[in-house]
Amino acid sequence: MIQKPDAAPIPIGRVVATELKPATPHQFHFWTANETTVGIGAIVKVEGAGSGEQGGRVVYGVVTDGFAYSDLATPLHDVVGAEGDPARAADAPTVRQEIRLWTAAVLRQDPEEPLQPVPIARVFVANDADIARALRMDAYLQGAQPTAIPMGLYTSGGLESPVYLDADFLLGPEAAHLNISGVSGLATKTSAVEFLLASIFQHFPTHRGKVAAVCFNVKGSDLCFLDQAGALDEEDRRRYARLGVAAGPFEKVRYYAPLKADGVNLNTLRTHPDLVADVEPLVWGLGEVLDFAEVLLNRDDIDAKADAFIDFLADRVLNKDFDDPLVGRHRVQTFADLEALFRAIFDGLELHGRGSDSWRTHHIATIRKVRNRLSNVSTRCKGLVTDDGPSNDLPWGQLEDRAVYVIDIANVDPLGQDLVFARVVSKLREHLERRDLGVDAVVVFVDELNKYAPGDGPDTYVRKMLLDISERGRYLGLVLFGAEQFRSQVHRRVVGNAATQVFGRMDMDELATPGYQVLSPATKIKLATLPVGELMVRHPHFTQPIFVRFPRPAVLRGRDGMERFPLTPDLPFPDAVARQLVRLDRAIRPNVVKDLVADRTEDDVRRALAATRRARPADPLAYFRKALGSRVAPDVPRERRGVPPLKPISEEPY
Amino acid sequence: MPRSWVDAIVAAGVVPASYVPEASLGRPDEDVVPAELVEGDVLRAHALPDGAITPAAVCFLDGIQHWKVVGHAGATPVVRAHVAAAVRRRGADRRLRTAAERSRELAITHVAALPAAARRELERSGVDVVDLPASDLGQPSRFLRAARVRVDRAREAVERELAEACIACLGPAEWLVVDGLLSDSQVLAEHPRALGVIKSHGTQYFTGADLERALTLPAAHRTSVFLPQSHQHQPVYSWYLRLWPWEGNDLLYGLVRIEARAHAATLVAAGAISAWLVRERAPVSTPDARFDRLLYPIHDVETYLRSRAPRDLLPAPASRLPRTGS
Repeated sequence: MIQKPDAAPIPIGRVVATELKPATPHQFHFWTANETTVGIGAIVKVEGAGSGEQGGRVVYGVVTDGFAYSDLATPLHDVVGAEGDPARAADAPTVRQEIRLWTAAVLRQDPEEPLQPVPIARVFVANDADIARALRMDAYLQGAQPTAIPMGLYTSGGLESPVYLDADFLLGPEAAHLNISGVSGLATKTSAVEFLLASIFQHFPTHRGKVAAVCFNVKGSDLCFLDQAGALDEEDRRRYARLGVAAGPFEKVRYYAPLKADGVNLNTLRTHPDLVADVEPLVWGLGEVLDFAEVLLNRDDIDAKADAFIDFLADRVLNKDFDDPLVGRHRVQTFADLEALFRAIFDGLELHGRGSDSWRTHHIATIRKVRNRLSNVSTRCKGLVTDDGPSNDLPWGQLEDRAVYVIDIANVDPLGQDLVFARVVSKLREHLERRDLGVDAVVVFVDELNKYAPGDGPDTYVRKMLLDISERGRYLGLVLFGAEQFRSQVHRRVVGNAATQVFGRMDMDELATPGYQVLSPATKIKLATLPVGELMVRHPHFTQPIFVRFPRPAVLRGRDGMERFPLTPDLPFPDAVARQLVRLDRAIRPNVVKDLVADRTEDDVRRALAATRRARPADPLAYFRKALGSRVAPDVPRERRGVPPLKPISEEPY
Repeated sequence: MPRSWVDAIVAAGVVPASYVPEASLGRPDEDVVPAELVEGDVLRAHALPDGAITPAAVCFLDGIQHWKVVGHAGATPVVRAHVAAAVRRRGADRRLRTAAERSRELAITHVAALPAAARRELERSGVDVVDLPASDLGQPSRFLRAARVRVDRAREAVERELAEACIACLGPAEWLVVDGLLSDSQVLAEHPRALGVIKSHGTQYFTGADLERALTLPAAHRTSVFLPQSHQHQPVYSWYLRLWPWEGNDLLYGLVRIEARAHAATLVAAGAISAWLVRERAPVSTPDARFDRLLYPIHDVETYLRSRAPRDLLPAPASRLPRTGS
């Protein structure tokens, strides 16, 4: 993919150094012709005397600023020359001498020791091989086991060179995580991540193991059509070819979405009949929720008492035969069971407590608070959290290599989103620690990091979890790809631990924040006007930010997907049940299912359906039928007949 | 890296030196030269016509000279001089580009005063040697004045050679504007599209009321055309032109003298040529102190030549403190 130059290069500029603007080991200045292809972000090469075979110094730099000025001593002299008439200024017989002076930051010096000021020498446009050297990509592009992941094309003056990231620094173990920021709509954050995931899946070296991605779809339908091919133009296809990435949708995509409150229709934008069959319901029960009770507690709730009571429930009550003199015998497996326990506690204290406000050392107020929070989640996240049915989860331990797992929680209550995120990431971490996830590395894509890991605000469980991934994930293979609109509003440690930083079009106010002080004013202006499809990338191997273009992702964009696969209204209860069973076995006839569920309570049907989903039996219909139980004929009251008197009533009157 | 001839003669016994003679060693003022009016019978101020047209292609020629005392053989200075000239052509895009350039390096001294080894080194170096006669020896200032004249002549020769080479290949509608006298060269003096623009006014052509009229010429006016009666130069027509108002400044502020072919056509074109040259006031050639008389393209040629001159001949910004050990 690295192309070799055909002809001897022609210099496009020359280094200049003055006492006021000297060349240093980290920065230099050069001039070019007025009509030049050089611009901000261009990569150039300086060849000192005796370069090449004679072993002279070669310096690679990236243009960070540009200046133009003429030999005009003061603006007043221009006024005088034009006699105060701007129209005449343009009519001057001679155009003043002008200069295009550029400032470049050094990317690499060759040899690197001793580090010396940049020589005053000729400047060339960098070619493919130069880009690879300049960005130190040669270290991971070549060799027996290359780890290069195509990120985009560096473009300047008609030249295009692929830019690669080092998998060891993108997905661990040397460094990890990627953070992408930019304004909504124009920064192409999601598109960039989609392209990069495709690139990772195609180029992640097999000797580094298996990799999968878990994407949280927290808004809109951007991630709902990753398995569908999107429209690409010739330019995009050319870029794909140049980068060595096959243009196509993801081959293995698994969708998960909670159910709606009815417990049978999926709460996702991917409801078109052609696609909805691929969406797996995400349903959790009490056990799954109780492990992450901390997520449900807000700052005011965090106290030792509530924690202690939740721990008590988890350790002593959940899934155990619990017997207590006050509340009797309970086996708590579902929210409904837990609610029964709470009722029994309150009733017991009221009737037999003899004025006591505590049960097993837990104050009634604490018990009420925990009950309130737990019942609250089953109400606010109805569909995700089942009151009384079994759960349906991601295939922990069996994640597939190069597969994307999309968890669509766009329409879920924020509390539920937090819960899903906390639980999924925790499970990923648990399994990665045990090395039994099924893959060696997982990319977790989270949009709206401003919301989940804000720089200020309450110290939530989700933020703590994101910090934990950021700081320790690389050792486990748990990699965070985070996106946000305002990087300055994301927690410093989350952003700072991202080894690869990507910037789309930025807001000027955001660029004025201290985090961008290292960028030159020209680079900031370029960032503020960056076209769609162009990004600025910082990577541990690159000593300066680099601008790259990437092709449109080869998947259907959310908006296009919604046009091609419009939403379908929620199905009636029997149809929705039939659809879910048909998804398990396409031979099942929907009418049979409808007959089965006719006249059955929805709760019974939901419970049977959940059990069938969870068991994944060979014959889903039979299993469902069995789980549903035999139909009990309605107990029709017999017509009440009069009891015949022992003796016939005489017709005799009194 | 090959040694320069300066290093060689220093190695051969000449005492090294490094200083640029003071500018006060200026050119001597010329005498009064009579002139014959060829336009009207009295010297008059003529307003310039409106709607001047600038030629599409114009070549501008200028030259520079740098010199420096680089050694002493006994009390005899050895001078190193660099003279150069360039032509910068302005085309339809109004940008100046170098069309031709020429330069020379000179060693000026009284050769007989040099040690034999230094003479041999000088000969071996191939540098153009100007051997001043023994009559120019004596106090250093006397020698330096003579050296200065030789440097002037060398520069004028390079300018003339380049101008004549340039004018030979001038396009049919192309003009050549020379900084200085046109009358030094017969080829230039007879060319229909060659102009000389003279900024210095050492030579006086008029006296009395005519002189006053010439020196108080209003801005954007020219004088009547006259024919200088110099026997040392080729016959050319000439006139004064005021580029900028002199009021509030000195009498010579913005005043240039133009030389052109001595031909009837010049009389007809003098007004249009003057109007064109007034247009050349913009861009202003600041920060050069002579900007009131220095056309920007000529200033540009100078800048170009200075940028290519040997850096060690330019006056050093540092003081002439004794050298330290390194």
